Amino acid sequence: MSFGSMVFLFGFLPAVLLCYFLLPARWRSGRNGVLLVFSLIFYAWGGAALLPVLLLSCLGNWLLALLVFPGRRGRKGIYLAGILANVAMLGYYKYTGFLLGNLQALGLDITVPSIALPAGISFFTFQAIAYLTDVYRGTIPAEKNPARLTLFMAFFPQLLQGPILRYGEFAPALTDRRESSAEAAAGATRFCFGLAKKVLLADALGTIADAAFSSGDRLTMSLAWLGAVAYTLQLYFDFSGYTDMAIGLGRVLGFSLPENFNYPYVARSASEFWRRWHMTLSFWFRDYVYIPLGGNRCARGRQLLNLLAVWLLTGLWHGSAWNFVLWGLYYAALLMGEKFLWGKGLEKLPAPVRHAYALVLIVIGWVFFRSGSLAQVGQMLSAMFGAAPGGLWSGETTYYLLQFRWELLLAIPAALPVKCAVENWLRKQSGLPARAVLVLGPKALGFALLGWSVVRLLSSTFRSFLYFQF
Amino acid sequence: MEKWMNRAFLALLLAVLLAVPAGTALWSHRETTAYYENRTLAELPDLSWESLRDGSYGTDLESWYSDHAPGRTTLLELDTAVQLNVLRRPVVNDVVVNAPALLPKLDFDEYTEEAYQYSAQPIAEDFGAISAFVEGCGGQFYYAGFPEQRVYFEDLFPDYLNSHAQEAETADRVFAQALSDAGVTFWDMRQVYEELGHPAEYYSTVDHHYNYYGAYAAYRAILEKLAAQDWDLPVLTEADIDFVELPNPYIGSRNRKLYNLWPNTDRAVIGVQKDPVAYTRWDNGALSDKPLFVLPAEDYMPTTYNLYMGGDFAETVLETDRPELPDVLIFGDSFTNALETLLYASFDETHILDLRHYTEKSLKDYVAEYRPDIVLCIQNDTFYYTATGNGAVWEDAADGT
Repeated sequence: MSFGSMVFLFGFLPAVLLCYFLLPARWRSGRNGVLLVFSLIFYAWGGAALLPVLLLSCLGNWLLALLVFPGRRGRKGIYLAGILANVAMLGYYKYTGFLLGNLQALGLDITVPSIALPAGISFFTFQAIAYLTDVYRGTIPAEKNPARLTLFMAFFPQLLQGPILRYGEFAPALTDRRESSAEAAAGATRFCFGLAKKVLLADALGTIADAAFSSGDRLTMSLAWLGAVAYTLQLYFDFSGYTDMAIGLGRVLGFSLPENFNYPYVARSASEFWRRWHMTLSFWFRDYVYIPLGGNRCARGRQLLNLLAVWLLTGLWHGSAWNFVLWGLYYAALLMGEKFLWGKGLEKLPAPVRHAYALVLIVIGWVFFRSGSLAQVGQMLSAMFGAAPGGLWSGETTYYLLQFRWELLLAIPAALPVKCAVENWLRKQSGLPARAVLVLGPKALGFALLGWSVVRLLSSTFRSFLYFQF
Repeated sequence: MEKWMNRAFLALLLAVLLAVPAGTALWSHRETTAYYENRTLAELPDLSWESLRDGSYGTDLESWYSDHAPGRTTLLELDTAVQLNVLRRPVVNDVVVNAPALLPKLDFDEYTEEAYQYSAQPIAEDFGAISAFVEGCGGQFYYAGFPEQRVYFEDLFPDYLNSHAQEAETADRVFAQALSDAGVTFWDMRQVYEELGHPAEYYSTVDHHYNYYGAYAAYRAILEKLAAQDWDLPVLTEADIDFVELPNPYIGSRNRKLYNLWPNTDRAVIGVQKDPVAYTRWDNGALSDKPLFVLPAEDYMPTTYNLYMGGDFAETVLETDRPELPDVLIFGDSFTNALETLLYASFDETHILDLRHYTEKSLKDYVAEYRPDIVLCIQNDTFYYTATGNGAVWEDAADGT
């Protein structure tokens, strides 16, 4: 079920809120039970056939964790087997087709099976691995109640697209959280803004990107750049919009979910970009791959190898295709370069130059990410840098600029911390009008955006969130 | 204060979240079609284990919910108004709005001449076969092709959009050649209109059809071409007809997609015969009292292209009881409708089929049974390459008989 669907907004959401808040606040396990049941319904809505995969992962990891906490005999083997089982499950559903497809391309007589990908498998598997590892390390105790662990892994606000949670941060809220009208209002407002980011901005910008990436021989240099920039903005508003909705819903229900984005497009280097983009994934790779491999505290050659491993995995996590591998390696090269070659020089450059440097590299990176094949990567990049089959400019570019001028104009300030600047300015004002705007403004705007988003939802074909595929 | 603000905001949100499903539950059964979208609304899906298992229930329920949300039409109309008048987008609801006429937004992709040649041949062969069959039954077969409004007004597309002008020219030429090669007499009304000076008033600015002036010009051209083929038919001249512009607002198919919000002065025109040729009308086998022009009861009520003959019927027969005149079978798309109000006056019996809806007999069986003197296919050029519906001329009836 998508947050941007009528069934979610005007069916599932009021139902879960009514059931949740009609139970007394002191009956915490009852409220948790409501969340668990609705989370499983939420997941099964897209096809109950794949619900057992999620349940198997939840119960399997709950059981494994009970066997790997410090002090138990043979726990290392069980832990490694558990990690292997999680990776194998992810690998089977996500990478079998890719692997066999490549073997087939090499000439092997293999039939490539069609395996349905359980939604959100990359997210809940990573949460499970983190949980198992944290228990194994002794950072957190093993959860004895399987329902609580299942709720952690299946918690509907973040189940399909994150943010990636840690059980150590989530578990206390299962017993100690406190819902309040202030938090709920702030969460609901954030949800409305997130929905608008997705429906009003990302979907419109996606139309431009889709056109550019499928234009074939019509592709012009201008359309290639417009498409790449549109996709850059689309992906941000799509993914960060979902995150806003997830965090907003969490706040309504009394949970504090971690932030996933910190205005990534203000970054002045590729390294800074990754400290601002999909932060919970970056932290996950840092804590569960990079540091265990040795991190920075090893020889340069080993550091390079560690970075390469992390970014190869990051690429593959996003998708089972060569363009994702290339995208991961692209960032590996950039981060290595910034770390060991031009990073210090870069810091001496004026901020606008560094910003432009980062933005161009980010946009190019998204071309790797969005392309359907390596051939398309080559076609788009060569078009962007002058070798476009359609020349410099076409009417198609003019059309998309005119048709979506409002979204393009709005997207740029919306991707920058303009909202924070306005809020800060208002906070410094002492008068009642400023205070009223600060209190009422976001709510009124959020309500209006909700209405407008619903109208657009009614008028457009349903579109799923981009990060569902991961 | 802030606490109360928060509570009021949350109460308002919850009220909206609950009002929509309540409204849907109360009113969802009221409408089954979306007039402005020209489609049937989604039906409430049946719940089954299989549909839950494969997720199709969720998808179908989403479609139903979107279609039956309370106030949907009003909200979409409001949205269209905002897109048109506030955001001023060049294309709204897939209609090009910043041109002197409403035109469809077309893809930037084009088919090649080779692709058209490949597609035209089998279709033309079918038309060749039915043409030969009609001749075998003692009649003559003619195909009159019309430019659709977007082709007629191809010069009105904004420069940055693809009007497909070159492609349409190629497609029409290839199709005409293929029909000629298959031995079919093809009359290209696009050329006729060009020879008449390509008058703008022949086509609607808000609908994909021609208007009545365009239909009348085509009628005269068709009768001239039939006369050239030695058919001696009575003709309704301008002196026989009063062209009456209706006062009613005219909702064209394109403006309909815009909730009739695009400002225009288009009005439907009808041709009132001064000395009407009497007829008996049969629709789908039943005696009908429908007039040639189905007019709204009041002047303020909107009208559409469906006023001509009352829209598309699977089969209509008009009998004028003048056995000295030949019989005609007309089949084709809705471009026939306006023409029928004129053509019937030149024949004894006028049989009209729309093969998109007519399934009782195949065309060849129909021809074999009624043995019309003239069989006239009327299609607009967007249907030239369609082998189904009125392009399925050499097939058995849809029910297999």
